[in-house]
Amino acid sequence: MKDISNKGALIPVKGGVRKTILEFAKSLLREGVFDGILISMRVPAKDSYAWVLIKDPSFIDKATPLAPIIAVQGAKALKSFTRKGKGSMKIAAVMRPCEIRATVELVKLNQIHLENITLISIDCPGALPMSYYIKNPEDGEKDFNDLFSGKDRTVSTRAVCQICDHFSILPSCDLHFGLTGEEGEGVFLIPNSEKGERILKEMKIKSSETLTDWKNSVKELIEERKKQRAERFQEVKSMVAGFDSMLDTFAKCIGCHNCQSACPICYCRLCYFDSAVSKQDSDFILQKARRRGGISFPVDRILFHVGRMSHMSLSCVSCGVCSDACPVSIPVADVFSYVADQTQGTFEYRSGEDIEEAIPVAQYQLEEVRGVEELIKQAEE
Amino acid sequence: MSMKIGVFICECGPNIAEHIDIDSVIKKIVATEEFKDIELVIKRHKLLCSNEGQEFLEKEIISNELTHLVIAACSPRDHESTFINVCKKTPLNPYLFKMVNIREQCAWIIPDKEEATNKAARYIRAAIRRVLYQSELLEREIESRPDVLIIGGGIAGLEAALSLASKERKVYLVEKKESLGGKASLYNLLLPRQSGGVDEIQKKIQDVENSENIQVFTETEVESVVGFFGNFEIVLKSLKADESRTELKAGGIVVATGFDLVNPQALSGYKYTKDDDVYTSLEIEKMIYSDGKVYLKSGEQPRSVTLVNCVGRDEKGYCSRICCGAMIKIAKAIRDLSPDIKINVLYRDLCLPHKEDQRFFDEVKESGVDFIRVKGIKLKERRIEYTGMDGSKSEITSDMVILAPAMVPAEGTEELAEILGIPLDETGFFQEAHYHLNPVSTTTEGIYIVGAANGPQGISESILQAQAACGKILTRLIPGEKIVPEVKVSEILESFCTGCRTCLEVCCYGAIYFDEEKGVSVVNDVICRGCGNCAASCPSGAIQAKHFTSRQLYTEMIEAIR
Repeated sequence: MKDISNKGALIPVKGGVRKTILEFAKSLLREGVFDGILISMRVPAKDSYAWVLIKDPSFIDKATPLAPIIAVQGAKALKSFTRKGKGSMKIAAVMRPCEIRATVELVKLNQIHLENITLISIDCPGALPMSYYIKNPEDGEKDFNDLFSGKDRTVSTRAVCQICDHFSILPSCDLHFGLTGEEGEGVFLIPNSEKGERILKEMKIKSSETLTDWKNSVKELIEERKKQRAERFQEVKSMVAGFDSMLDTFAKCIGCHNCQSACPICYCRLCYFDSAVSKQDSDFILQKARRRGGISFPVDRILFHVGRMSHMSLSCVSCGVCSDACPVSIPVADVFSYVADQTQGTFEYRSGEDIEEAIPVAQYQLEEVRGVEELIKQAEE
Repeated sequence: MSMKIGVFICECGPNIAEHIDIDSVIKKIVATEEFKDIELVIKRHKLLCSNEGQEFLEKEIISNELTHLVIAACSPRDHESTFINVCKKTPLNPYLFKMVNIREQCAWIIPDKEEATNKAARYIRAAIRRVLYQSELLEREIESRPDVLIIGGGIAGLEAALSLASKERKVYLVEKKESLGGKASLYNLLLPRQSGGVDEIQKKIQDVENSENIQVFTETEVESVVGFFGNFEIVLKSLKADESRTELKAGGIVVATGFDLVNPQALSGYKYTKDDDVYTSLEIEKMIYSDGKVYLKSGEQPRSVTLVNCVGRDEKGYCSRICCGAMIKIAKAIRDLSPDIKINVLYRDLCLPHKEDQRFFDEVKESGVDFIRVKGIKLKERRIEYTGMDGSKSEITSDMVILAPAMVPAEGTEELAEILGIPLDETGFFQEAHYHLNPVSTTTEGIYIVGAANGPQGISESILQAQAACGKILTRLIPGEKIVPEVKVSEILESFCTGCRTCLEVCCYGAIYFDEEKGVSVVNDVICRGCGNCAASCPSGAIQAKHFTSRQLYTEMIEAIR
């Protein structure tokens, strides 16, 4: 955890952590610090969650600051009203850390403009698999409540959540709620930027608590998760090493492109793989079938996934909505997280962390050309 | 309209015919199942690039009413333009033509005839599939601008301005200081006869200011330059409080930004403050210009003066060429004050290249000025410790010390080099295209470097270079001439552009701008050179390079590996 402040405010918990966070959000609206809060809310049919922009403090009671599932990736919601430039309303967005990271990447791609937006994140215990929650939402609610309150740590979150090492405070959020794990104690409200500090000042909240214990417990958990991540990646490696493994892993793929639709980073108006260029004429396809003895449909499935990887893996934040979206339960997020780890590592780049660091593929640096010229010179000598 | 593709295979004398079985290639192509629905006219010829060959092609295109053309021959670098010119004589648009290299890429590198034949057939098939996806592109003409931008109002810039300006050729002279004249206007005495040149330089300044064809911008700098020879688009920025911008177009640019002197106090071995009577050559020139003589801070005449040459030469790694002459001139000016002043000149080497220099040096030496050759110098206030050529150490303390610091490129040179996209050499001065054979041009056509911006030099050399650059411009940038900008440019489809601006980052020609209102990137198709960087980098596939569209490249590739 780099460069976060050492002090935060300890907000006493009343009626549960999530209620306490809602009260804070309400007070932000009442005091006029913000004109609107972007937050999750359970849908009337009670089987999913949607993003809502709330102006009236009395509606906040109906909201849920950390939903059991990720339906729409928060960064997508932010993108829909800031893509064309900043708005005049001051808005606070209450999101998961992975949604904040996706937001950072979209800012770099000029799809989100953060002026007048404040990012508030919460320590995230993970999210439940969409398929599990949908089957029985009430069970899902109970399970997630138990997980969140620390009563039951064995609840199975999504595969990517189990190996997530970015579940706590990040460099790019303005305010962060740090959970102590003890219900009765209280929840830390940590200012993480000048914006965050200004807000606490306006709300007359003092950051006088030291965060050492909390930081240490988060660090411990991060180390655990890093280990699990490395282990899981070894398994995933065998799933994708070589063309045959790729074929096996994606054999079930029906080419619905849901993963691409759900992905916050895939923001292209027309995906290359939906465009005319990627369509083949029938002779070509039949030729392939003739030469190989057979061909399966839809064609170019692996090309779609590999292509999507090459387009977005530098910005992939392992949020996992792709796996949730897959109707045939392919572990898309596991595969893409593994590949992203490799591609980002090649450039020593970590997505979603430093908002000032440009994405490697969108940079042109004269010094890099000089480096290549040097290599060529050396090779010739 | 039905498609009819002409496929012509050149024997290239024995070059191709001996290594590739051309008849077999023709048979393979005709037998290709996928081509059964396309009308092909396939012929072989001994030498298509010859006059006879070109006439043959012209006749075939017209008589067969060909809609597309594929020529399999040598490298496009050799004869693509030849065959494009043939197309231009026919109704066939030259961009519906694809050339295949079966000489350098097949015949000359594959010893096995069968293998070479197979590869040639593959390539030609790929070209036939691709050419069907090519589009007609229309060339257009724009008028080349004869006007010239001159950056820097010193002696080189003034000279260039006066030589170029005419009714048909406007000159824009940009100077960052408040007045014209540069360093040369500070000199009261000019070598070698100590005659004034001041009046002549002042006259040049006046002529420039009075000229109807020269527009002078003082307290202004160049903010951006995009474009190419005959069509540069320039933005100037005023350095005054309003920071107003001016947009200009010019066909050529002359860089005459001059020099500064290195600060001796920043060099190791030179310790003094402004209270000591230690001066640089330029400060003495200013002193002579305003007061007609050399004197100490106290106002009195110095009884002893030591002049130190080659200051900073080791650190910079080059000789600044004019300081020796200038220092001898200053020594004479001091000697003219009184025959009793003790004058020493400490030097590492003497640089006296001009035809008058030797005689002047002898005169000054005769007048009792001591020239002492040294290996190294340390200066503390007015005390100098120096090492003689024999290794012995000596000391001199004088009433006044005058230093000749190395010439360095003027402040802002690095930034200007980036704006113009021209390189600097290891010394930090602008890099000329060729040291001996092309000394005032740069690697960018239409941008010239003259005067001290090019490298340490004096007034006469600066004027020479200015005139050389003018010569080049006068003969090549002719008023009324037309240029045909690149036709194979990039195109951005507005409906697919998501405004991520990745293309702006990778375009090194400055040919893309961002439309804030629509939130999309747009290509300036006059400046675009068709390099394709943007098309490759666009994450949304919104950019296509004309004549190299995804469709065309993909089709060609797939057919080549079928």
